[in-house]
Amino acid sequence: MSKREGSLPPRLESIVYTADGDGYDWRLAWGIVAVLLVAIPWLGAGTFELRILIGVLMWIGLAQSWNMIGGYAGYLDFGHGAYFGIGAFVTGIAMVSLSLPFLPALVLAGIFGAVFAYAIGVPTLRLKGAYFAIATWAFAEAMRQLALLLDITGGTSGLTLPSTMAAFGIPLPDLPRVIYLYYIMLVLSVGVVVLTYVLFEHHEFGYKVKAVRDNEDAAESLGIDATRIKRQVYVLSCTTAAVLGGAYAFYITFVHPQEVLDSMITAQMVIMALVGGLGTILGPIIGGALIFLLDRLSALYFGSDTMYISLMGLLIMLVVLFAPDGIVGLLTGETDASDIRSNLNSLLEKFKFQ
Amino acid sequence: MDLFIQTLINGLLLGGIYISVGIGFALVFGVLEVIDFAVGEYVMVGAFAGSVLAAGLGIDALFVVPLVFVAFYAIGFFVQPFLHHVTTSNVPMPILMALVFTFGVAFFARGGILTTFGPNTREVPTSIATGGVTVSAIGTFPVARVLTGIFGIVAVAAFLYYLYNTKGGLAIRAIAEDRTDARLMGINIARYQSVAYGMYAGLTATAGVFIGIIFAADPGMGMQYTAFAFFMVVLAGMGYLPGIIVSGLVLGVAQAMFSTYVSGAWVFFVLFALVYVVLLVSPQGILGRGEPVS
Amino acid sequence: MTETVLETTNLTKRFGALTANDDISLSVDRGEIRGIIGPNGSGKTTLFNNLTGFYTPDEGSIVFDGTDITEWEPHRIARAGMARTFQIVSPFRNMTVTQNLLAVEAPDSIEDKHARAREILEFLEIDHIADNEARGMSGGQQKLLELARVLMLDPDCILLDEPSAGVNPALEKRILDHIQELNDDGTTFIMVEHDMDVMRTIADTVTVLDQGQLIAEGSFDEVTGNDRVREAYLGREVDLEEVLG
Repeated sequence: MSKREGSLPPRLESIVYTADGDGYDWRLAWGIVAVLLVAIPWLGAGTFELRILIGVLMWIGLAQSWNMIGGYAGYLDFGHGAYFGIGAFVTGIAMVSLSLPFLPALVLAGIFGAVFAYAIGVPTLRLKGAYFAIATWAFAEAMRQLALLLDITGGTSGLTLPSTMAAFGIPLPDLPRVIYLYYIMLVLSVGVVVLTYVLFEHHEFGYKVKAVRDNEDAAESLGIDATRIKRQVYVLSCTTAAVLGGAYAFYITFVHPQEVLDSMITAQMVIMALVGGLGTILGPIIGGALIFLLDRLSALYFGSDTMYISLMGLLIMLVVLFAPDGIVGLLTGETDASDIRSNLNSLLEKFKFQ
Repeated sequence: MDLFIQTLINGLLLGGIYISVGIGFALVFGVLEVIDFAVGEYVMVGAFAGSVLAAGLGIDALFVVPLVFVAFYAIGFFVQPFLHHVTTSNVPMPILMALVFTFGVAFFARGGILTTFGPNTREVPTSIATGGVTVSAIGTFPVARVLTGIFGIVAVAAFLYYLYNTKGGLAIRAIAEDRTDARLMGINIARYQSVAYGMYAGLTATAGVFIGIIFAADPGMGMQYTAFAFFMVVLAGMGYLPGIIVSGLVLGVAQAMFSTYVSGAWVFFVLFALVYVVLLVSPQGILGRGEPVS
Repeated sequence: MTETVLETTNLTKRFGALTANDDISLSVDRGEIRGIIGPNGSGKTTLFNNLTGFYTPDEGSIVFDGTDITEWEPHRIARAGMARTFQIVSPFRNMTVTQNLLAVEAPDSIEDKHARAREILEFLEIDHIADNEARGMSGGQQKLLELARVLMLDPDCILLDEPSAGVNPALEKRILDHIQELNDDGTTFIMVEHDMDVMRTIADTVTVLDQGQLIAEGSFDEVTGNDRVREAYLGREVDLEEVLG
């Protein structure tokens, strides 16, 4: 990545390009971003801005979490949202029924996510691609139906969580709650991104995962235990989704099956990773931020969430058709104008019915 | 006992219409190798089309059925090339990308209907399909359900006749068997895949009109029928068409029995859980004739 | 003093009515280059799949290095020191050459995988493309990459499925030289190969399969002189040497 030159606008290039080095100095750029992210509550950002940022961060984390299994491992998990919901409910139940503080409740959410993911992953990962998608989708829908029926999840009325920072678990100075929530989400989301980066881009583990995705037989013949690798990725990605779900529950203080187990949650993760670029570290970051902001903007301008649903649908179709490498593919030049043109031509070919 | 027989017949009638959803879906899977996540949304949009056309033209919903079929046949005919393009494109995992594409189609359709008509249900107006038919010693059956069941059976019979007794049907089956061989035999892949997908869309949307007559058109109903379609093909065995007739009837009867004797609230949980479990436990369908999924 | 590295006993694999490997008993000595030949569909690739755990045989057993590996999974067999390549080259397309090598689950005896990878790439003379993505490479380079990956396992025995297919003559010679060199250092090779010239030059012993059965075994000249082998390849009446030139 660091050696690709000439793919950034000149002005941006002058900022991150080091004349003596062999490419862009991304570390500098990321350093600036990190400082900004930490300082932002003190730079005049109000509740509204912080809430938007919390959303952006959470969705970046979720998109990255889906990207682990969907992008890097190539398994279309259409039930990933179930783990978000499981995390939210475990956190909610732990805080309401067990009166636990948030931090231990969040740990429980992670543990439950991991246990569920392992139990579901072992049989489900045996299925081939499209069947895996159906099975996980059915699992997630079953979870939603179950949450609507059970007492412990609050059934159709949902659960209401404590809404003060007193329930956090550690005594904290008296600051607006939203600032704490922002930092919680920042830590978790950046944690997921860094974890993904280290494991999948800079570690043999990531090479093994991609090897299994690209050619499972070849990977096995090279000593890679494909079943184990897939299981590890699945458990890891589902656990991170569960932890983010737990944080979301504490943030929103109300957990309802139709909301935290909504199939739109999975859909958004898929779309964000896809639009940004599957199996890349930057893709879900770009896609997550962009799509979430688009969602807020469409709510602001069209006043309805429903238009957004069809916009998402349209975007998925366009990306699949013309830019399967996502925005990252466009930025790095993997997909260029001639690709799109030849894609369009080959699409028109398919309309020749005579 | 009367209640049992009545429930059974009600279930079989429902099963008839489910088959007409499942059979096109299974065919598309055979021909395009694509699992169409938008299947339930064709049912939903079909129900809305029936409602709007019938209300707009001021005629009975039963009479707009041919119109809906033709309209959705045309829509399907022109959606297919997009799927064909994706499945044959030079991306990693093209079949999965096509599945993602249909995921997009589903959201596009659902969002479009929600934006246009709002979140409320709409009646699909009919004056013919009202009231009940009384069968002595068993009970009374709603005319809507009886007509729906009959339509389902007739539509599926016509569909199978086309598939097994005409040149076009032969071409489609040849493609399902082996796309490359079919091309070598001089079959126009693009056209017959489009015919297959068009028939599937038409059949599914038409089934939507009938389902709308029974239950009303609801923007959120699609997901349920997607699940039904998955359930049927999974139970029948992926890609095994005749199995759909069995699994569609099983679905209808099971739904009716479950609602009558157990609890309506648990129907969906059981349904989704069954799709999941059948995939894992019996990956080639209960009849063991489908292609393996693992 | 020879030692058996691989031995199969009555190995049988059926697919429905077809018996793809029929009662095959063979034994390979450590340090030999064994050629496997036979007409298309004679069961060569099935044999490879049986040996490397991709199929589980219906009957018979496989003993590698004194251990029964019949029921083992492919990755376990690979780690035990029996590696293979595939007929169709299968590089991990979206990774660089070095990453392809680092993905391999190398045995614990290799302490520094990076150093080992460099060594192998230098040995095969492809270290100049170490940072290239596999998908942009030529077919020949991909073949070398496959061999490089296999070497990361530090295997005792390497199964090659048509190593010279689709490769230009210059590169073919390079590959064969490398095989010879590795063999001199003690690595056992089992090769499926259609090119009879290659077999003649490189194989110590040739095993001939036909319709799933082992029909002949011996030096190249012995087996090509065998009537059953001629029959299997060409039917009666035809002289093998004549056809092969």
